[in-house]
Amino acid sequence: MKTYVVGSGVTKVDRHYDKNYLVLIDEAVGKTLANSGLDASDIEYLVVSTAFSESILNQADPSTYIAQNLGFRNVKALTVSSGEVSGAVALDYAHALIRSGKASRVLVVGFEKMSEYPSWVINRVYAKILEYEVEGIKNVAPSDYAALIMNDYMRRYGVSRESIIKWSIKMHENAVKTPHAQLQFTISADSLSKALRISEPLTMLDSHPTSDGAAALLLVNESVAKKAGTTPIELVDVESSVNLPIYLRDDLTYFSATAAAYKRLSSRNGVKLTTNTAVNVYDTYDIYGLLTIEALEICARGEAVKCVDEMPYLNVGGGLKARGHPVGATPLYQVHELRELMSGTSWIKYDGDISLAHAMSGPDNNAWLILLRGWV
Amino acid sequence: MKHSISIFWRLKDNHYKIYVTKCGDCGRVAPLKRLKCPYCGSRNVEHIESRGFGELINYTVSYYRTEGSEQYLPRVVGLVKLDEGPVIIGEITDVDLNELSIGTRVEAVLRKYSSEDPNGLIYYGLKFIPVIKK
Amino acid sequence: MTSSRFRVGIVGWGAYIPVYRIKAKEIARQWGFDDRVTDSIWIEEKAVAGADEDTVTMGWYAARSALLRAGVNPGDIGAVFVGTESKPYAVKPSSTIIADALGISAKKLSTDLEFACRAGSEGIRISVSLVESGAVRYGLAIGSDTAQANPGDVLELTASSGAAAYLVGPADESVAVFESLVTYVTDTPDFWRRDGSRYPAHGEGFTGEPAYFHHIVSAVKMLMNESGLKPSDFDYAVFHQPNGKFPLQVGRMLGFPREKVLPGIVTPWIGNTYNASALLGLAKILENSKPGQRILVAPFGSGAGADAISVLVTDKVLERVGKAPTVEELIARKKYISYAEYAKFRNLIHRNLW
Ligand SMILES: [Zn+2]
Repeated sequence: MKTYVVGSGVTKVDRHYDKNYLVLIDEAVGKTLANSGLDASDIEYLVVSTAFSESILNQADPSTYIAQNLGFRNVKALTVSSGEVSGAVALDYAHALIRSGKASRVLVVGFEKMSEYPSWVINRVYAKILEYEVEGIKNVAPSDYAALIMNDYMRRYGVSRESIIKWSIKMHENAVKTPHAQLQFTISADSLSKALRISEPLTMLDSHPTSDGAAALLLVNESVAKKAGTTPIELVDVESSVNLPIYLRDDLTYFSATAAAYKRLSSRNGVKLTTNTAVNVYDTYDIYGLLTIEALEICARGEAVKCVDEMPYLNVGGGLKARGHPVGATPLYQVHELRELMSGTSWIKYDGDISLAHAMSGPDNNAWLILLRGWV
Repeated sequence: MKHSISIFWRLKDNHYKIYVTKCGDCGRVAPLKRLKCPYCGSRNVEHIESRGFGELINYTVSYYRTEGSEQYLPRVVGLVKLDEGPVIIGEITDVDLNELSIGTRVEAVLRKYSSEDPNGLIYYGLKFIPVIKK
Repeated sequence: MTSSRFRVGIVGWGAYIPVYRIKAKEIARQWGFDDRVTDSIWIEEKAVAGADEDTVTMGWYAARSALLRAGVNPGDIGAVFVGTESKPYAVKPSSTIIADALGISAKKLSTDLEFACRAGSEGIRISVSLVESGAVRYGLAIGSDTAQANPGDVLELTASSGAAAYLVGPADESVAVFESLVTYVTDTPDFWRRDGSRYPAHGEGFTGEPAYFHHIVSAVKMLMNESGLKPSDFDYAVFHQPNGKFPLQVGRMLGFPREKVLPGIVTPWIGNTYNASALLGLAKILENSKPGQRILVAPFGSGAGADAISVLVTDKVLERVGKAPTVEELIARKKYISYAEYAKFRNLIHRNLW
């Protein structure tokens, strides 16, 4: 049984000081169900994705309270929490429900509220994506690893610091054209020398911002999809792999989990990514985006900065860098942006058959890929 | 940051000391006392205590601010290749930001990871400094 | 109480001095002293523990060096004592943290000792007795302090951070053997810190004649009487050194020529490390001594008491000096910091905590 996305909706990614998670989710769900021909009472499963609701909102299993507050009366509700890949895991679960025939209408909702505390508190929360007993206790920060990886990449391939920022410049350009993106302004390489350093040589210009947001996707089986009032997109396959911790890797500049997941996904589905394929990848830090498109075999190793200019459909929503990173929702934003692209409602026209979303926790610690195909 | 008393106590061997897990099957080494070899999954491992000396192979100056960290910032975080073979992540302390370079010899020293709560525990653990005895 | 002649000795020793220094004149100017005050007591600069250092971490380093020099199995150490007046925990021993981090077995005596600046040497005396009695094979005595001083108090010119450690064990494994040990203790309120108070108080001039000088002179004379030794029998004399001037003065009072006292003086360049003060002086002497030389060491602690200890250097000292950083290497290793950085490191700045 095949899985189709027949609706998707997102809120603007922002610091939503005036809205709680329920208000954000209500907005995203409303947009998702509009035109789908379905309403909340038709939903069989409510699969909720969040990385940090327990830490930030003091809320375990928010799915229960989303169902109670937003009118889901006959739903099976659950929460998926798997660090920065929570949203991808939620989609995999929904996909499995539909593929197995256990459900035909699954609503996947992702959210995060990262702006509820000042940065020094949220930084501590975000650092929980690393291994607490090894890295967290020593106060190792996620951005520290990005800096170490950037150092190695520059040394190994002779890539300059200024050329890496090309990624972020492109992300901001895409974000300006994306209404739901958080950072709606362009940046230039000149700003690099003045940018606040996070973990040298990494600066704010290389990093995702602090984001709130909610996104929803409606996943259904083929018979429901055929009746939908929108153009369905097929969720073809999900694949993933886990890497060793950074300090055990022989080569920091190779995202081998992403690469392994891609090899399996590629051979199983007979697809190959090129610079003209729409991909929406995790650029938690710009260097991660570059390593990801190398691991996905779109670019040769050490060549990613050259490829960036040749990839018209790379992170059309602005990436984590500029669309923002409402962590539990981010993979759903990615799929939403790809759906818009493939259904012709994005700011850029796309003729490709397939597209790919990539999510990962930390520096390729846990990498997930979601393959989408247009309605045929 | 407050840590669980029992967690920190249980982790003494991995923070007061540096152990190396050596695999009896694939022969590879990894830092920390581990149940299994992280490379091949074998339980046939032995734990050897590192002397705590090594070489800095990569580092960053971190301004990442978390509550209670201000007294220690900016901090240098780096990868140290221990003389026994494995690479470990750790903080390099007591250093001027311009005195480090790749290849600097370092030694492990007991320091405070954090201790900001005047009524709470002091979390001791190993960091690195450039070797005193050249 | 005297003498454990040739049965017990120092098997290993270790020193630690934090890398940071602040110029004494900068402190003097900060608080409106005539900056000539630093010359009047002979203090050039003092060592400052970093933000992530304390008595435990410094004591650990010194003790590890002592073990490296001794080359003994940590499992054979039966006693660990930390002498300090800057315990990181008011209640909870520092010695257990250091012992666990060094892999010393659980089968041991272990406690923190408090007697102002001479608790570390009391640890040595207790260790000597334990080894001599056969209760333990080795005893580890550590003196370590991040000395507190009320900002603006003249004490702040000298109160510094550092540690020294001595592994006491059988004479035949030792770099120096104990010939004679005596202690002279009275109730003399020259310096104190009340429970819960952040900084110590003192009697200024009263810390000198009735306290420092009276107790050290009495202890050393007691040792001379009991052992029959004279100042001319010693190659070096090391005294507690709250500043650079006092040890020279007490040496003069006891008839030691200046050249026998000067080599053991470290305070002008690192400040008064309290429980490590005389013990760092002794470490420096050991690192430069020749087999057969005799050293007098006389620590003092307010409240008040002094020890006088005579050791004879053996030929084992030569091979062990190079196994860990020497006091001179630690003194030479330094980075200057401002008063503001010093205040930050030593927690002198009041902040709200999240
Ligand atoms: Zn193995």
